[in-house]
Amino acid sequence: MSQLQGIRVLELADGLIDLGGRMLAELGATVISLPRGAPRTTAREIAWGHGKYRVSWPDDISALAPLLKDADILLEDRRRGTAIPDAMLKGHDRLIHVVARPYSAGGPRSGHTATDLTLMAQSGLMHITGDPDRPPLRFPGEQAYALTGIQVATGALMALHARHSTGCGQRVDVSALQATTLANYREAIMYEWTGRIGNRTGNRLVRGKSGVRQVWPCADGYVTWSMIDNPNMMRAVVKVLEQHDAAGELSQVDWAGILVADMPQDVIDRWETIIEGFFARHTKAQLGEWSLTLGWGLSVIHDLDEVRNSAHLAERGLFVPITTDTGTIALPAPLFGHGAGGPAPARNCPPERPLDELAGWGALE
Amino acid sequence: MRALDGVKIADFSWVGAGPRSTKDLADNGALVIKIESARRLDLGRRSPPFAGRPKDHDGSAFFAQSNTSKKSVTLNLSDPRGVDLARKLVAWADVVVENFGPGYMERIGLGFDELRRIKPDIILASVSVAGRTGPMAGFRGYGNSAAAHSGHAALSGWPDRPPHMPPLAYGDVVAPMFATVAILAALEYRTRTKQGQHLDISQIEPMVHVIADLFADPHSTKTGNADPVIAPHGVYPCKGRDEWIAIAAETDAQWRSLCEILHMPFDPQLATAQDRVAQSDILDRSIAEVTVLQDREALLSALAQSDVPAAAVQNGRDVFEDPELRAAGHFVPVLHPVLGESMMPAPPMTFSQTPPVVSAAPCLGADNENVLSGILGVSAAQLEELESLGVIA
Repeated sequence: MSQLQGIRVLELADGLIDLGGRMLAELGATVISLPRGAPRTTAREIAWGHGKYRVSWPDDISALAPLLKDADILLEDRRRGTAIPDAMLKGHDRLIHVVARPYSAGGPRSGHTATDLTLMAQSGLMHITGDPDRPPLRFPGEQAYALTGIQVATGALMALHARHSTGCGQRVDVSALQATTLANYREAIMYEWTGRIGNRTGNRLVRGKSGVRQVWPCADGYVTWSMIDNPNMMRAVVKVLEQHDAAGELSQVDWAGILVADMPQDVIDRWETIIEGFFARHTKAQLGEWSLTLGWGLSVIHDLDEVRNSAHLAERGLFVPITTDTGTIALPAPLFGHGAGGPAPARNCPPERPLDELAGWGALE
Repeated sequence: MRALDGVKIADFSWVGAGPRSTKDLADNGALVIKIESARRLDLGRRSPPFAGRPKDHDGSAFFAQSNTSKKSVTLNLSDPRGVDLARKLVAWADVVVENFGPGYMERIGLGFDELRRIKPDIILASVSVAGRTGPMAGFRGYGNSAAAHSGHAALSGWPDRPPHMPPLAYGDVVAPMFATVAILAALEYRTRTKQGQHLDISQIEPMVHVIADLFADPHSTKTGNADPVIAPHGVYPCKGRDEWIAIAAETDAQWRSLCEILHMPFDPQLATAQDRVAQSDILDRSIAEVTVLQDREALLSALAQSDVPAAAVQNGRDVFEDPELRAAGHFVPVLHPVLGESMMPAPPMTFSQTPPVVSAAPCLGADNENVLSGILGVSAAQLEELESLGVIA
């Protein structure tokens, strides 16, 4: 059996919980999803909706009562208000009711609307992302929603674990702002302890007294690598530079005896000039190979097609063909490797259908 | 009662990718024993910011916030007697967590097959950059490696500039969240089947998952702050140095309200989202010309009253002092022996019946006696001897 086989999840989705429901579906739960009408691209509907049974929003919310009666978990997205009246939940003592909303229920912004962009802005992540001469920048995709969705799955699973002990469900309230801010693990504590406020530094990673470069052009694209305080890694890089007579003063550095973060910026800059010249003369494939075999910590920057066609990810079975009403598309499916048995979960993405066409949970399992 | 009361975790993980997962579990009641080494310190303990001396391995606020509510023991895993103690902790545990380099656990005799011999229903969660199988299984990297290999870096930044790496290891954030989900799902599976399993969490794969929508679109490109279906959707300057406001008008009604608040004429040619998305560059410039003259707080207040999604782009200080986050209990004060009273991040959720409790991160080896004697039954004399021999170290 799969990890969550037999667990029934009813999802009222509006961005904040979509990935959470998707994760539970991938783990084997049966997920019925009702979208709450946010503007969504087809790509988003497929990406977050595959593996779920998608049902259109009913004219009368009480039509959900039969599904609710036998659900284990209700994921309710309150990004733009309450969907399920409390009265409908009375008597469902074993139900785990996970509510995701932009802000806490009782805080000063309770009831305010939000989107992925505005949550990212408040989290502090955008302030430090991007170039100093441009506006703050978000991460690709919808990361505030994604981070919230993962916490939704986490909250549901924790409550499921507790239910084994107590026999009772409970209410779990997830704050999207908190879920997003949690990803910003450095800026608030840096201010608390040093009074320093981080800024956008482009592709420089600033730690301690100096900043190091993160993105480097190479002969046919870009790679990412930084001088960090890992002596073995630094020695491995310098060794190859030495083999190509390109190490210069890097050969003289005692990597175990210094902290890169404490080195003066002009020294870092000098060392990086040596590295820059070397990387520029070699291809992504060659640099990636050295990194893999010698432990450089360098990564080739892949575009989406390179990720889709990665031999490594193919061997791990990450991308799976998903059938939609318009064709087939390869999307990431397994969340992680695991030893649980059972058939692969349903992953297709059939079109949304009316609620009254759904014959109940039993017909889906 | 907390949600995970009774769950026992032997946590060999270090730095960010493992510890953030076991923090989630510890704050919610799991007993997490962090197995550390005084000789080979968790690099998290050497990461700034510090309270007091940087050399004090108990003074890192970075470490403290990733390791709340845990216990710490110090074992020398290069000594067979240290490994013996670790094996006893495995026998005690429900879950083992590690994020060492490939092959390390096997080399010290704690690979999954061996763990299963010690405890047949053990759950092992391994977190690594590229996973434990596949051509890149041996890859040694760090949190930002996953951004490069997953497509994040290629799609971050401005369309006219090189790929961008945010100044944080986002892979060290997302992967441990997936690890938490994996461990919870495996616990559920074990409850039903009495079987453990080896969870193989790659940092790259969760990073791919969180941009699955971009993989679902064959034409995805770098868009900066733009959205394919919402416009305006951007960050605009306000009066003052580095003051920015993010605005996303999701509906036509919100767009109308925004025009009114900014005193911009309502253009019928921009009435629909599709129209606005097609002209988002021009739209963004027009909005920025207006907002740059406005006080951010006043503008935020007006937009909130009209239900237009907007927020300040907050910096680290703003986040630390944010009234909403304070009210939500996002940062909770805990008393730490070295840091003193300090603010630590709490789980981003509340439970009606099993609320989490966040306590201080452990000092190095602070629980040696309690754990090794209290749980493993090592006598006081043995403890002293093992310390003198450098096994507990």
